[in-house]
Amino acid sequence: MDQPVLLEMRDISKSFPGVKALDNVHLTVRPGTVHALMGENGAGKSTLMKCLFGIYSRDSGTIVLDGKEVNFKNSKEALENGVAMVHQELNQALTRSVMDNLWLGRYPKVGGLMVSERTMAKRTKEIFEELEVNVDPKTIMSTMPVSQRQMVEIAKAVSYDSKIIVFDEPTSSLTETEVEHLFRIINMLRDKGCGIIYISHKMEEILRISDDVTIMRDGTWVATRSAKELTMDEIIKLMVGRELTNRFPPKTNKPGEVILDVQHLSGKYTRLKDASFQLQKGEILGIAGLDGSGRTEVLENLFGAMTKGGGTITLHGKEIKNRSPRESIKNGFALLTEERRATGIFGIRDIKENTVISNLKSYLMGGICLSDKKMREDTDWAIQAMHIKTPSQSTQIRSLSGGNQQKVIIGRWLLTKPEVLLLDEPTRGIDVGAKYEIYELIIDLANQGKGVIMVSSEMPELLGVCDRILVMSGGQLAGEVDAKNTSQEEILTLAAKYV
Amino acid sequence: MKLKKLSALLLAGTMCLSIAACSGGNKETPAPETTAPAESGAPAETGAVSDLNVAVFYYNYSDIYISSVRNNMDTMLGEMGITPDNYDGAGNQNQQTDQISTAIANGANLLIVNIVETSSPDAAQNAVDAAKAAGIPIIFFNREVSDDVVNSYDKCAFVGTDAPEAGHMQGKMIGDFLMANYDTVDLNGDGKISYVMFKGQEGNAEAEFRTQYAVEDADAILTEGGKEALSYYAGADVATKYLVDQNGTWSSAAAVAYMDTILAEYSEANGNMVELVIANNDDMAMGAISSLQTAGYNLGDGECVTIPVFGVDAIDSAKQAIDEGKMTGTVMQDAEGMASTITALVANVQNGGAVMDGIDEAGGYIVDLNDDGTVKVNKIRVPYGLYTAE
Amino acid sequence: MSNETKTLEKPAWDAKRIGDLILNNALIILMVVAVIYIAISNENFLKPTSIINIISQTAAYLPAALGIAGCIVLTGTDLSAGRIVGLTACISASLLQSTTNLANKMWPEIGTLPIWVVIPIAMLIGAVIGSFNGLFVAKFKLHPFIVTLGTQLIVYTLLLLYVQQGNNKGMAISNLDASYTDFVKGSILKVGGVAIPNYVWFAIALTILMWFIWNKTTFGKNMFALGANEEAARVSGVNVFLTTVMVFALAGAMYGFTGFIEGARIGSNTANTGLNYELDAIAACVIGGVSFVGGIGKIRGIVIGVLMLRLIFIGLTMMKVDPNLQYLIKGAIILFACALDMRKYLAKK
Repeated sequence: MDQPVLLEMRDISKSFPGVKALDNVHLTVRPGTVHALMGENGAGKSTLMKCLFGIYSRDSGTIVLDGKEVNFKNSKEALENGVAMVHQELNQALTRSVMDNLWLGRYPKVGGLMVSERTMAKRTKEIFEELEVNVDPKTIMSTMPVSQRQMVEIAKAVSYDSKIIVFDEPTSSLTETEVEHLFRIINMLRDKGCGIIYISHKMEEILRISDDVTIMRDGTWVATRSAKELTMDEIIKLMVGRELTNRFPPKTNKPGEVILDVQHLSGKYTRLKDASFQLQKGEILGIAGLDGSGRTEVLENLFGAMTKGGGTITLHGKEIKNRSPRESIKNGFALLTEERRATGIFGIRDIKENTVISNLKSYLMGGICLSDKKMREDTDWAIQAMHIKTPSQSTQIRSLSGGNQQKVIIGRWLLTKPEVLLLDEPTRGIDVGAKYEIYELIIDLANQGKGVIMVSSEMPELLGVCDRILVMSGGQLAGEVDAKNTSQEEILTLAAKYV
Repeated sequence: MKLKKLSALLLAGTMCLSIAACSGGNKETPAPETTAPAESGAPAETGAVSDLNVAVFYYNYSDIYISSVRNNMDTMLGEMGITPDNYDGAGNQNQQTDQISTAIANGANLLIVNIVETSSPDAAQNAVDAAKAAGIPIIFFNREVSDDVVNSYDKCAFVGTDAPEAGHMQGKMIGDFLMANYDTVDLNGDGKISYVMFKGQEGNAEAEFRTQYAVEDADAILTEGGKEALSYYAGADVATKYLVDQNGTWSSAAAVAYMDTILAEYSEANGNMVELVIANNDDMAMGAISSLQTAGYNLGDGECVTIPVFGVDAIDSAKQAIDEGKMTGTVMQDAEGMASTITALVANVQNGGAVMDGIDEAGGYIVDLNDDGTVKVNKIRVPYGLYTAE
Repeated sequence: MSNETKTLEKPAWDAKRIGDLILNNALIILMVVAVIYIAISNENFLKPTSIINIISQTAAYLPAALGIAGCIVLTGTDLSAGRIVGLTACISASLLQSTTNLANKMWPEIGTLPIWVVIPIAMLIGAVIGSFNGLFVAKFKLHPFIVTLGTQLIVYTLLLLYVQQGNNKGMAISNLDASYTDFVKGSILKVGGVAIPNYVWFAIALTILMWFIWNKTTFGKNMFALGANEEAARVSGVNVFLTTVMVFALAGAMYGFTGFIEGARIGSNTANTGLNYELDAIAACVIGGVSFVGGIGKIRGIVIGVLMLRLIFIGLTMMKVDPNLQYLIKGAIILFACALDMRKYLAKK
């Protein structure tokens, strides 16, 4: 690789308290190429990009752009120096028009004061024509589908005359034709001499579009190869590359008879198209799939947090509706949500309140007054049964570690005596040691005869904890595998079935 | 960054300073060092009392008439060597109740209260009970409290006007004026005078009396003189024969909004012009005049038509408008008389006497009496006056 | 785009579409129905004098609403508007009193100032208080509700103290100079024999100016971007601090101008002047579709909102509706309008 270099990130390291997020990572992007950046969730891809854009300040390492060392303080400065990013989560002013978003922060002016709508519209049209985007510059963003909004974001990156453009999972919300369109744009940018950094989980895409591939794992650089030399299997091996011993407790649960039968579940407003499955008593059922494949939607539709489009749910041979979370809780369901901080904990309230909040009805004395004694007893039970490490019941929950917070929430749900526990990413943001405890807890729950459905983006975790694994792809159930007799490769292949 | 911080500080500082500077104007001057016993019944001594700690509770600082009373009180009490602690209830009885208990806790030994809530006696009774518990005299003024409240404590008195009196006087003034100028006022010559009534607030005793008696008494004079009674501009069958300030603040802004709307529909050209404006206070009267002036009336130039406008309070701007021929008359609430009567009561306390010492007919005060001439209740009435161009 | 056009061409006038159309224009429909109903029950309602009155009252309340709308676009609000109107009204009036009766003049030692000096003073005072609001919002990240709740009280003190100054002693500030009242309430144009007060023209000019600022300037576009997504605006290099302060300062200047107009229009200015103006202004904005969600609002909507509130007031007065019921009708319309507004932004899950 002695061709000219456009961007070089050398020996980048970054630590967060207790975690080494990046350990001497390097990345070299040549002009006129597409450089794929791959790795499992948590491998450090986005941290690396955030270091490039100055959103995180790196602990060590140098970044050289076009022969000059650079050190961006924020994404605005990066933009001005020709480094742009198309974010996976779009950060746009949705109530404003396409061109307002495109030129935000640098409106073309007339007479020093007035914004020239005409220039704005004209230049927007020019860029859109170049990119073959068919969108009226005056359309309000919120009225457009996500794919078109993403095109606007791409156009914005292009409009800065960027030398380096980072695409973060750009195809997760695009249809096949739109992906083709995106690839045309990427190829065009490449032909113009831009360096493209392309982050994606989709192997086929990567192999199709990229020139070079860099693979990361656990915050370290693993390999940089030419895409032509790689096969899908090799990539997966490089990405996974670790032994799965002793990370999981022994599986002692024994699935029993079927308690829950779900047929053709679909979402009214979401991407969940069709999912049918059964759950046994004492079973841990995993749900795998890529981001946006409809994993979370299965749980939230089942729980009534999202509006169902159709399908039937049968519990113990009786059909139930689960139209709202309230109704589902009554039916014996419990949902541990994906975003613990946003929708799980009540951060500034104490452990006790966080524990008993879903079960307040059972502490009523005479229908009016809550029994503090009973609440304290139940909280004590939760603290002991879940092994929650907390100084006291009256500690604010936000001061606990992620793992302990998660245990409080699991304890909260157990108090409602659920039969079916829905766990969405139960170990997200939890350190390795605490994960083991959560796994133990899950297996223990199954041993007590509960049915557990668990969504996770970490495949080893599903393989280590679950009995069976459902694989979602593009909003549909792509297949079901036995956790003992499958491999990550098989799951990944299924996950790509309908994308 | 530094500059921003500095400017923030500067801005905050300037605001604080300007507030301090403004309030410096009415800060108390130090009381003269005079001492005397305060125990009840002791003979008055020369040099008077200094440990009289007077707390005055006004129902709302933004009320013009009350401001006038406050200015007079501050001056008169100041002459007696007393610097009162003034409180603004801001039209909120809860706030005033809290202020009263705070003032008592703070060592006030004479309360002068302009009670906020007049539609029920509870608030006033609470204030009396608080004063009674502390053993200190309490004087109510301006806004009427019930006889029972005043009678429940021997160191309690009320200084006010006779609420219906203003309405009666305004009605008489209007009736007399119309009898003298009937044909000029009756613009369309239909033998009837159409009027509009601006009520300051729903549920306020004074507003109710004024709204009722101003029209009733005027009607009585007119019918006696062989004329038609007043007719409400919007017809006889409307739900209420008055327009009320929806914010309850007796404000000129409300009067302007109503008057503009009326004048858009009723005019001389249509032969249905409003021929008389009655307002419960001068501020609303002034608003009505402002609106009339926009329509070319009441300019005070001697040429245009002048619609008779009547108010209550006799605030300075109203008096001036009357002098200039833009307004016809107002009932004078005597702020100075109110303040001097209260001060007389305060002087009694200061001199160690009972609150009502020497407050009787002989002293020139009007006190609520029974039919047999004995004092019915410790209520002193400050008479209204009339203010017209004549 | 292709999707859009398809959906536009495809469905015929089915019930859902008609329903949506009615819901999206419900306010206009409601207003038209109200106007027809009032006009039937009182034929005077649509006569020139009455129409001019409706326009005049709308014009009087419009500038404050235009100012407050900017704060709402930033997902905020401004509770200090009414008191700022009161303060600037009293200051304007006190500087423009007639010299014929010096005893009643607040500042006898200065004569009647020229109008063109007083307008900038009023607007500047408004703008300074507005910047003070904006500073706290932008710098300390306080919600504007809290900031302006505080300033509103501070300004009330300034107002109470101001009316005590000079010769005034807490009296109503009245006896205004003819140059002032003529400038505001006089008429340079009559339509159909009905005089249109000058403040209508000022309001129209301000509306055009605000439309220009909102739609044609960098500041306006930044304001909307900030209201829609503060983070997106920040990473795009918008000066969030300055924009916020300027929005509040501009609002303050508008209240200052309102104060100047109200001083002459009402003619009798006390510490009560301007009380609750902000509530009407906020209500008007909300009715007109300036959403508390942020980043949404049109000048046209604000004009309609103010007009709607004035129509309610004038219509109910002319129909001789019991005043006790007027609050109910006003409240119901505000709730109705907001529910309608929110309906558009509810994300379906």
